[in-house]
Amino acid sequence: MIVGIDLAHPAAAPLRRWHASGSLRLADLRFDPDPACIALWDFVLSEEDRLRAAQAAGGFIVGAMKDLGTVPVLVAAIPAARAFYPDGAWWLPCLQRHSGGQLAAADRLGIGESFCPVRALLGCYAAGSDFPTPDLDICAVGATCDDFSAVAQRLAGLGRDILWWELPAFREADPGEAVVALPDGQRAPLALAQAVERELERLRQALERATGATIDAAALARAVQAAETVRAQVRTIRQLALAAPAAPLPAVELLLVEILALHFCSDLERCRELLDRILALVQRRVAANEGVLPADAVRVLWLNPVADLRVLQWLEDDGGRLACTDFMTAQAMAPIPMDLPPLAALARTALCDRMIGSDRRRAALAVAEARTYGAEAVVVARIPGASHGCAEGPAMVRAVAGCGWPVAGIEVPTLADSAAGQIRSRLESLMETARARRTVQP
Amino acid sequence: MITAGIDGGSRAVKAVVWDAAAGRVLGRALCDSGPDAAGVATACLAEACAAAGLARGDIARLTATGYARAVIPGADRRVTEITCHARGVTQLLPTARAVVEVGGQDSKVIRLDASGRVSDFAMNDRCAAGTGRFLEVVAERLGCGLAGFGALVAAACDPAAISSMCVVFAESEIIGLMAQGRRREDLAAGVVAAVAARVAALAGRGLPGPVAFTGGVARIPGFAAVLGAALGAEVIVPEAPQFTGALGAALLAVA
Repeated sequence: MIVGIDLAHPAAAPLRRWHASGSLRLADLRFDPDPACIALWDFVLSEEDRLRAAQAAGGFIVGAMKDLGTVPVLVAAIPAARAFYPDGAWWLPCLQRHSGGQLAAADRLGIGESFCPVRALLGCYAAGSDFPTPDLDICAVGATCDDFSAVAQRLAGLGRDILWWELPAFREADPGEAVVALPDGQRAPLALAQAVERELERLRQALERATGATIDAAALARAVQAAETVRAQVRTIRQLALAAPAAPLPAVELLLVEILALHFCSDLERCRELLDRILALVQRRVAANEGVLPADAVRVLWLNPVADLRVLQWLEDDGGRLACTDFMTAQAMAPIPMDLPPLAALARTALCDRMIGSDRRRAALAVAEARTYGAEAVVVARIPGASHGCAEGPAMVRAVAGCGWPVAGIEVPTLADSAAGQIRSRLESLMETARARRTVQP
Repeated sequence: MITAGIDGGSRAVKAVVWDAAAGRVLGRALCDSGPDAAGVATACLAEACAAAGLARGDIARLTATGYARAVIPGADRRVTEITCHARGVTQLLPTARAVVEVGGQDSKVIRLDASGRVSDFAMNDRCAAGTGRFLEVVAERLGCGLAGFGALVAAACDPAAISSMCVVFAESEIIGLMAQGRRREDLAAGVVAAVAARVAALAGRGLPGPVAFTGGVARIPGFAAVLGAALGAEVIVPEAPQFTGALGAALLAVA
């Protein structure tokens, strides 16, 4: 079994500079020792540098918010532009052990702890820290999180000129209504797909005006093709990792891989290279039946991302492994249909966002996928303050309760140390329950 | 084989000595938790051994459970409270299909399958709402202590509606109600009803019965009936409900 390493290990040396520059939580985490995984971490942590360098070189920086996977594909059609997600700032207070003061800054701006920790982005905008101030902010609203909308509106109140676009709530087709097939195998009303496509066309035109670049069909097709290449890599890695009898990647590294599908971490070419390396690593380990966790680890469906990455490692410490995930990124991994006009294709992948539908539908989709990976238990992580984690959490627990697997709901604060006893007790109980069911099926 | 189980809870440490061959409890002990969890557990086990007329060396295997399970010395196995309460209940009440345990720090609802194993569970959030600690604070405010709480509840005529489940706000609410002249008995009954409602919400719909009610709070007279009404299920309090987890641990030590 491949054993994880800590920050003091020589192989983790490339990450120590990030610890020295404020990412203090790295000292509490465990890393896959393979150089490809260390490079993956380094790539994710170094995004601010890439963005600032690009902006300094005259590049156009787009802050995309909440759509998670759609706008960056449009932006990729403009050679001199890069998109990133200020939403990702929600991990900063954890990584920096609150030393960055982003949440305190958000408090002062009137967005307190009753909101999702994504409010940390307000602190970054206010201080101009952690990411460069974008040249254009684009935020999806409509069926997205209520509290995220509030955070973005507060940002607009601070003077940011946000380009809003609507991601409508998912609905089933009415009887006789025309439908389209979505890349995730679901069906959606044609009218819904057309509405999203119209919104994307509006964004395309706005991006042209803002950058002065021409985003024609050929450019869009190239961007979509490039994005789909990344998505295909991520899907393959994920499928191999989740299906393998011995987990070839730790949970946190698998999360980082999924994150790359969102916006390529601001460097599409390097992203593809890294994913190639990770894919080769996973293929090698799967072929050798080599894992990073015991082969009898309990296979867990994990719903919702965690602000504190350490919690995923507690799952592993307590005898679990990921069998399936819904980190709210399904739409970023959905295959982009290459036989459709680019914007129509992108609209259909945007509708694969499980968060725009009901919690029951979201749970059903996750459970269906998890069954294919042999899940034995479910963890529903709740995010304090987040409408898609806090309020929806209990509903998700109820929604997955009928799946036949034991379910544990856990609330994960930005730094989970104070709740470690309770969280780990739940995880351990879940592992014990799932193991007991291996011998006696109800 | 003689085994033992220690349940290192947040408010009390419980120890049970079990004779596997005879299938009976030989001795048990309960001590208040303290800053030295390992020391209290050791003393508690010694007390349980003394009650059984045995020495520590007579214990063949020991299982630790509860929040302090990681630091209880000499344990051969460490198992969560969920599994231990389920095992203890299965021994005491084989027909039970669910367990409600109101502990000092958290509340648990455990569903059991036909073989008595855990099929699913739920635990309260990290605040004190619906826990023994909540009741303890209220009992202190009512000037009766947990031991006298049941007598107050039994004498209630018109249970008060307690809307706050945050322990701090509930205490303020109770102070306000006392200032309005509400009887202590009615306040105590109102608090019990509020905790039972909280547990019922945690359980969700369709909790199968009979339900075993364990933990020290189960000893409060009248609480089981209120809980049964809130759950809509038959609620049974096993013998010595505060020892159920420790008993389950002792039983699991046999395997």
